[in-house]
Amino acid sequence: MRRQGVAGLPYYLGINSLAEIATRQDRIVVLNAMGGESRRVTPMSHAYSGGNVVFGVSPGRRGEILATPVGDIPIYNNVREGMADGHRFDTGVVYLPPSGVRDGAAELIRVNRDLKKIIIITEKVAVHDAREIRALGQANGVDVIGGNCLGVADSWNRVRIGGGLGGDSPQEVLLKGSVAIFSNSGGFTTTIAQYLATEGWGTTALISSGKDVYIHYAARDFAHAFRNDDRSKAAVLYVEPGGYYEHAVDFGKPVVACVVGRWKTKLTRAVGHAGALAGSGDKAENKERWFIEAFGTGGIYTPETPAASAKGALVTNIADIPRALTEVMRLNGVDPDFAPTGSLALKPWMANDQGLNLPTDIALPTVRAMAPYDAQINALSGQVGAVIARQPMKDKSGASVMDPKTQEARIHGHSVLDLALEPLEAVFALPLVRGIAGPDDRVLVNIAVAAEEILAGDAALAAAEAAREAGNAPNVVLAAALAMIGPKRVERALACSRALIDLFARSSLADGHDEGFDLSSITVDDATRALFLAAEADADDPRPEAMMQAASAGGGKSVFLTFLAGLGERVSRDAILAAICTTIAWRPLMQKRITRLTAETMPWYLRLYGVMIGASMPARHHQPGSLCGIPLEDRFGAWSVADVCFLAITGRAPKGEEALPLQILIGLLISNGPGSITGQGAKGAVAADGPQTPERVQINKAMLGFLTHSGFSHGGNGYEGIAFLLEQFRGVELKDPTVPSHGLDLAAMARALAERYDAEKAAAKDVGAEVPALPGVHHPVFRGEPVNFDPRERFIAAFMERRGDYNVFHAFYRELVQAMYDVGASPYVFCVNVDAIIAALLLALFWKEYKSGHLNEQDLETAAFTVFLYGRMIGSAAEIDDHLNRGRNMDTRTPPSACEYVV
Amino acid sequence: MQVTGMLYGSRLLQHVGFPATEVLGPSATEDEIQDLITRHGLIFIKPLFKGGVGKKAKAGLIGKATDLKVALAEKERLYFAEHRHETAYAKANGVTFEAGVPAEHEVYFSITDDTRYRAPTMTLTHRGGVDIEEIPKGDVATIPFDALTGLKAFVVANALSDLGAPKEIVSPLVQHLPRLWELVHHYGMTTLELNPIRLRADSDGRLTPMACDFKCGFDRDDPRVSRLGLPPHLFTSDVSDFEQEVNQLRTHQGQSDVFVINPEGTILAPTFGGGANSLVTEVLGDAAIISSDFGGSPPYDKMKAVAAICFRHFLKQTNVLFVVGGKSNNTDILTTFRSIGDALREAFSQQGPVPLYVVVGRGGPNLVRGMGYLADTCDALGLPYRFFGFDSAISEVVTYAKRIDAWMKAGGRAELARKLGVNRAA
Repeated sequence: MRRQGVAGLPYYLGINSLAEIATRQDRIVVLNAMGGESRRVTPMSHAYSGGNVVFGVSPGRRGEILATPVGDIPIYNNVREGMADGHRFDTGVVYLPPSGVRDGAAELIRVNRDLKKIIIITEKVAVHDAREIRALGQANGVDVIGGNCLGVADSWNRVRIGGGLGGDSPQEVLLKGSVAIFSNSGGFTTTIAQYLATEGWGTTALISSGKDVYIHYAARDFAHAFRNDDRSKAAVLYVEPGGYYEHAVDFGKPVVACVVGRWKTKLTRAVGHAGALAGSGDKAENKERWFIEAFGTGGIYTPETPAASAKGALVTNIADIPRALTEVMRLNGVDPDFAPTGSLALKPWMANDQGLNLPTDIALPTVRAMAPYDAQINALSGQVGAVIARQPMKDKSGASVMDPKTQEARIHGHSVLDLALEPLEAVFALPLVRGIAGPDDRVLVNIAVAAEEILAGDAALAAAEAAREAGNAPNVVLAAALAMIGPKRVERALACSRALIDLFARSSLADGHDEGFDLSSITVDDATRALFLAAEADADDPRPEAMMQAASAGGGKSVFLTFLAGLGERVSRDAILAAICTTIAWRPLMQKRITRLTAETMPWYLRLYGVMIGASMPARHHQPGSLCGIPLEDRFGAWSVADVCFLAITGRAPKGEEALPLQILIGLLISNGPGSITGQGAKGAVAADGPQTPERVQINKAMLGFLTHSGFSHGGNGYEGIAFLLEQFRGVELKDPTVPSHGLDLAAMARALAERYDAEKAAAKDVGAEVPALPGVHHPVFRGEPVNFDPRERFIAAFMERRGDYNVFHAFYRELVQAMYDVGASPYVFCVNVDAIIAALLLALFWKEYKSGHLNEQDLETAAFTVFLYGRMIGSAAEIDDHLNRGRNMDTRTPPSACEYVV
Repeated sequence: MQVTGMLYGSRLLQHVGFPATEVLGPSATEDEIQDLITRHGLIFIKPLFKGGVGKKAKAGLIGKATDLKVALAEKERLYFAEHRHETAYAKANGVTFEAGVPAEHEVYFSITDDTRYRAPTMTLTHRGGVDIEEIPKGDVATIPFDALTGLKAFVVANALSDLGAPKEIVSPLVQHLPRLWELVHHYGMTTLELNPIRLRADSDGRLTPMACDFKCGFDRDDPRVSRLGLPPHLFTSDVSDFEQEVNQLRTHQGQSDVFVINPEGTILAPTFGGGANSLVTEVLGDAAIISSDFGGSPPYDKMKAVAAICFRHFLKQTNVLFVVGGKSNNTDILTTFRSIGDALREAFSQQGPVPLYVVVGRGGPNLVRGMGYLADTCDALGLPYRFFGFDSAISEVVTYAKRIDAWMKAGGRAELARKLGVNRAA
């Protein structure tokens, strides 16, 4: 039964020349042809090789076909059935699962006496099975290649058998030439061929040998066939540690060997002694030595130390193979097969440093990729802004997160504590552009919002006033105003945004503030131009000129405002608002940090911000062009957003840094994460409109969602702390709560309260009742230590200390928690929580107005609630934009199965 | 997956009825130890290591005792003995007490798959009891044999004849040694070494081979290993928690071989293809956290699960996420990059943002679509990146990743952390 192999070898080898390893005459059968990998690879191989697969085997799938570009491959249950149908083959390709490989090889050998070779693609074949496959092949005169390989290919014959050498476009890589490749790595077989081409070397036969313990077609077998292949002038070997396959092999022609894997020594978990184990004496270092001695080069070839001889060269870096081969062949007087096809230098195809300042030696600019990849990349770059995958966003947020340990909320990575220290104009755009605004953007945001605050003659103001007169809480008042700012009220502004993005998307503009940008390349058609220009209805609106003037005076650089100014005609407020928003959004948009949808809808948010602040002032304070009698021009450039908020709440202009505590309070209240009721309200409103059709989502209604989901318990409860402090400081002579020299004995006041509280607790315990907790004291998370702190309170307190600011109410709270412990009312020193510091700051803010009778207790409650709404408006914008971009229609609903009916 | 020592070795040998010296485990009572000494006169006390640990005797880690007092003293000395041999380090947890076997002859025997012959190969010498490499080659028989017929008695007999072994040991070895092939071949072993096998004389002078030390390696791709019912903890020293998690995902046609190279490394490199893995691991050196090969066209779910495990274990310490491979033959780049990108996005959701730079070097089907997806993910997460195609030398790309890592260490990470708003301490 044994077939006659190559004479003179102590074992069977049938392939005498590399020219025989993959020919157009080979006829193939594929085992497990309908498996996942074969289905992807076999059709391409079949087509490339001129249709060499005669049939495939997949048990139970007889009658099916594997479609290929050059005709269908029939499928049978087993090899015998295919042969019974008249098919003949001499080569088997095995894609079976590891446990089936041995039996598959046995089937091929036993059923088909014409079989010459088997190529095993499967990896992780047990050594037990590999032993038997080897023995079967030897006993029956069949060459086996693999396992755990990618098969073989021949560039001259345009044939590949088995795996996918050359990838999805083998003709690009398998270039006819004079070099044979034998590689332990399947992936690198293709990569080496591609690298060789850069130096002008093509290939003859390519063999992916695999690197299992049993390499069925090994270097020695390859060397024999290589010597007998007249086409092959040289060979490249890619060799990994393990086994003696390459030891003392005579290749007979020039060879470049690449040995990689010194690091593997680190992983060796040796068992037993030499001779009992593969793995000793066959490390990478040993193999390097074998080749260096065979080539007589004395060392490793590198571009710096080109150790090469006419026999060959050893490299340890795959990228050195082409140059080493050229050098070896030069010593043999042989030129490359064709002109070099390129270089292997670093060529970034895509890059984005996200504004980081990398040193120039690593900030490599992108280069145009080779065809056809350049066109594909170009098509990708045509997409403006980020693309975010949609997913159900119930109780999830890509904008905010609340750390359960620190109770610190973060918006787009920024802690509310840090945000509290930033001016509001620096924070207003954060929900949309995901960064804190720089100086230029702050000027622009301030202008945009300030222009929207004046509501004289606007239906929004009338609605707010009507709601206020009806006795509603501030959230309802603001909701009434925002209901008027529907899609039609922002239609033109959003259209302007879209137009600006379209006009500049293909330009090279990277930064919206780059006023040196050459606008001559931007051409505007008449319709777009008309979109930006003021209409007749805008004739009485003084704001466009004021806004442009303020931007110019304030140093708010903007390419887009410059562009509008260059139109030479009066532009509308909507166009200016859009230009400001596009300026702010441009860099993150180009960096694909935000979506185009976010950039386009940004004017809506800024308008809503302005209207909310404006509508929180009674109608009597609104006059055309002014608020509380202060002309818009006076505010532009001189007032911060926090100043205007102060004006809105107190009705008077702030002095000095009077508005700073307000800014801190608003910052602290921005978000409590997506689980807060306001967050749920905003997200639910977006989900109900259907974010998958984003153009239908009413952003003003989403803001209404947040407003209707605030109330006396959520938002209005800020007053609880104020009421508590008012009670403690009733009848006390306190002129200025921000000076330490107030003359009050806070420790005594605190001790008296603590004793009272302790007594009330004891009395209540006797009757089984509960005494309500003191507002601002204690926290379920920050507890249990001898002395406890709320880190948020500490953060603000530390900030105040650094500034030398004093707040008597806060100082009272600190005395109170100590006194409660001292009198035994608490088991340890409770923390002063963040609500306490909010109440302390709020009360100090309005103390003078309160004492003077300008504000009564109900006004204080309204003020506290309004401050909450200002803060949460920013956080809600983040949730709305996030849900709009990321969510799915109606994704916030709870399935009925998760709901409970309660009697 | 290796087992050394007689505690489990003697049990494994029982599967094929090969005689072994009597052994007590670490829980042996003083009475039992005394009884062993009483019956055998001499006992050996050996530290109990998990996995493959060699050269114990040369390190002075084998104790001898002829009375209980010395035995207990040796137990105390060796119970937590530490042993370093070449790159391997092991710490004992327990000792065994093994009966001494008086004998005139010591034999070395092993079976392994020898790549010079591409066949199972027996190594045998009657001058055993010492390291095999110290024995003159002429006294050692190395004989390949047919895997289909197995190790037959005549193979052993021929070898012993060629060696000129003492005639009294030939028959007992010819009778017993072939059974060891059954243990190797049918229970998923890749190698088995018994040294020494001591030939104990019974009352009428007949010799019986007794295995006195045991080492074997198992093929983790061979389900036959499970036939032995070995406790999983035996192999726990072989793999880290991370490796264990990833290896659980090993399935047909989906490589996921990983090793932790440096638990303190800063470049996390999911690598595709064994060749790329070798190159990357070698060039990255200690900067590499893991060495991996995720080639073989892994499906989306599996690749995402593997990436998620990588990120859960190592993302926090990572400066550079380095996705690299050659020009793939059939691994779909969009599928793998989509799975990595999605896993990264989820990791950021769960762990918070991590300041890292993404470097990619890859080629293959759907390359640009895959790069586009990963680029969009990086953009959305605010991560800087640089993607190279297959026309850049992979080794140059690896070196580039190292340069980015160096820059990250020299302040780049802190700068990026500030940009990402990672906590103030970062």
